[in-house]
Amino acid sequence: MKRALFGLLVSMGLGVTGMAGAARAEDLVSGISQDIIEITSNYTGTDIVVFGAIERAEKAEGRAIAVVVRGPNTLLTVRRRDRVAGIWVNRDSAKFDGMPSYYYLASTEPVDRIAPPRVLTRHGVGIEHLQPGAVGSHHDARPFREAALRHLQEDGLYKEAPGTIDFLSETLFRTRVPVPAAVARGQYNVEVYLFRDGEVVSAQSTPLFIDQTGIERRLFNLANNAPLAYGLICVFMAMLLGWISSVLFRRPA
Amino acid sequence: MEIYLPVAEMSVYWLVMIGLGLGVGFLSGMFGVGGGFLMTPLLVFSGIPSTVAVATTLSHVTASSMSGALAQWRKGAIDFTMAGVMVAGGLVGTVLGVWLFALMRRQGQMDLIVSLTYVIMLGSIGTIMLRESLTTLKAYRSGVAPSSRPVNHVWIHRLPLKMRFRQSRLYISVIPPIALGFFVGALGAIMGIGGGFIIVPAMIYLLRMPTNVVMGTSLVQIIALTAVTTVLQATSNHSVDIVLALLLVIGGVVGAQLGVRAGSKLRGEQLRLLLAVVVLSVCLGLLWGLVANPRDVYSLTLGAP
Repeated sequence: MKRALFGLLVSMGLGVTGMAGAARAEDLVSGISQDIIEITSNYTGTDIVVFGAIERAEKAEGRAIAVVVRGPNTLLTVRRRDRVAGIWVNRDSAKFDGMPSYYYLASTEPVDRIAPPRVLTRHGVGIEHLQPGAVGSHHDARPFREAALRHLQEDGLYKEAPGTIDFLSETLFRTRVPVPAAVARGQYNVEVYLFRDGEVVSAQSTPLFIDQTGIERRLFNLANNAPLAYGLICVFMAMLLGWISSVLFRRPA
Repeated sequence: MEIYLPVAEMSVYWLVMIGLGLGVGFLSGMFGVGGGFLMTPLLVFSGIPSTVAVATTLSHVTASSMSGALAQWRKGAIDFTMAGVMVAGGLVGTVLGVWLFALMRRQGQMDLIVSLTYVIMLGSIGTIMLRESLTTLKAYRSGVAPSSRPVNHVWIHRLPLKMRFRQSRLYISVIPPIALGFFVGALGAIMGIGGGFIIVPAMIYLLRMPTNVVMGTSLVQIIALTAVTTVLQATSNHSVDIVLALLLVIGGVVGAQLGVRAGSKLRGEQLRLLLAVVVLSVCLGLLWGLVANPRDVYSLTLGAP
């Protein structure tokens, strides 16, 4: 992490000299502590550090920083149970497509103080401001959407953490983003937004990859690409261990 | 310590899973059943997705049945002809069951159907066993020897396609064993069970097989069916987790051997009474889950339906 931070500072220096002639607007640069998270057999979740610096910083007042981590998009299916003949049965459902499978927001201010809803919705900043790509429902989808967001927050997949961005100096900041154990694999995006008086003045996006590695990856691939062989291996393993145990525990005649 | 399951895509405490395999294996060795009917609900209860739980439990059943079947085979207590006939019916049932499983998964009614099937099956089998074992125990107490082979079912002997099963000393139609195999095969694929707790009573009371070959024969047919179902679930639903299977199997085979020893110290009726109590309590627990007010009426599924 130290090396990455050093690299960032060097590139910042280069950036400043390179852009000496450009418009003197407030700007930001950012980076992440690791761009690949490998899921191994003992993976139980981890943290990444997102850091950045504000260039040509103006006064702190009226400025807000938001760090958003988005998981790969997924389809959310929400079902509502109703009592039918005494038992609870899934009846109505609603589908929301194009929602992130993981969402984390760290910010300097509470969400509603960062910018007006119009701006937040456009950039997808804040859980309440996330818009699905498509909605499939025969009913009023709002209670289903609320239920989905509530479940995602309870499961730790969606989280807002206002006030968790630490400033190391006037312009240098960092925040720690938790990546829980049960997250989808694929490409994540780490986005850093600089707001000034309720408008985005600078934004940066860095990809982060989360994937299985080693034996886990091979097993997962085998299960999906060669399911017949995989199934046979499972059966063979079960029979072999059953046989071994019966030999080991055989009573001496 | 935790271990990551590549297909379930979650972490579990591996010692807990081995312990689960051990405990269920112990009961299955003691009662001579596969134990799938206990394992699947327990896995779902520990947070494993029900599709993975159903498909992975099958490996546990294969292993503990293998362990038990070998012991029976050494005693020559297996009717391979009968097992073969039942497996033939079972294979058709299994294919149907796996297909139904995939269909229900798409409909979002998977959990409901699995729970309902469990409640009905466990409730009826548990009640029958409880009554039967209590009657037998009472008969012993009053000193009257219970009639071991009650009146034969006449209709079974009128069916065509008769076949001789030498080991079972039976000359009966192949239709009942095929139908029984079919039924258990379909149920096994949906519930993630071998179906021993259905086959064993059916072999004794319906087919009138001698008790000494029942256990071994049902185990052979369970091994065949769970093996085929595992492969079918792996190919059509990609829901078998080999790491979880390994953990359960390791615990299961050890538990099964210990259970067999514990079981040999108890009388048949006492065992059946105990098993009936276990079966009925699982049934009541599941029924409660269906009837009780849920904490949240909304549920959420991520990813493909």
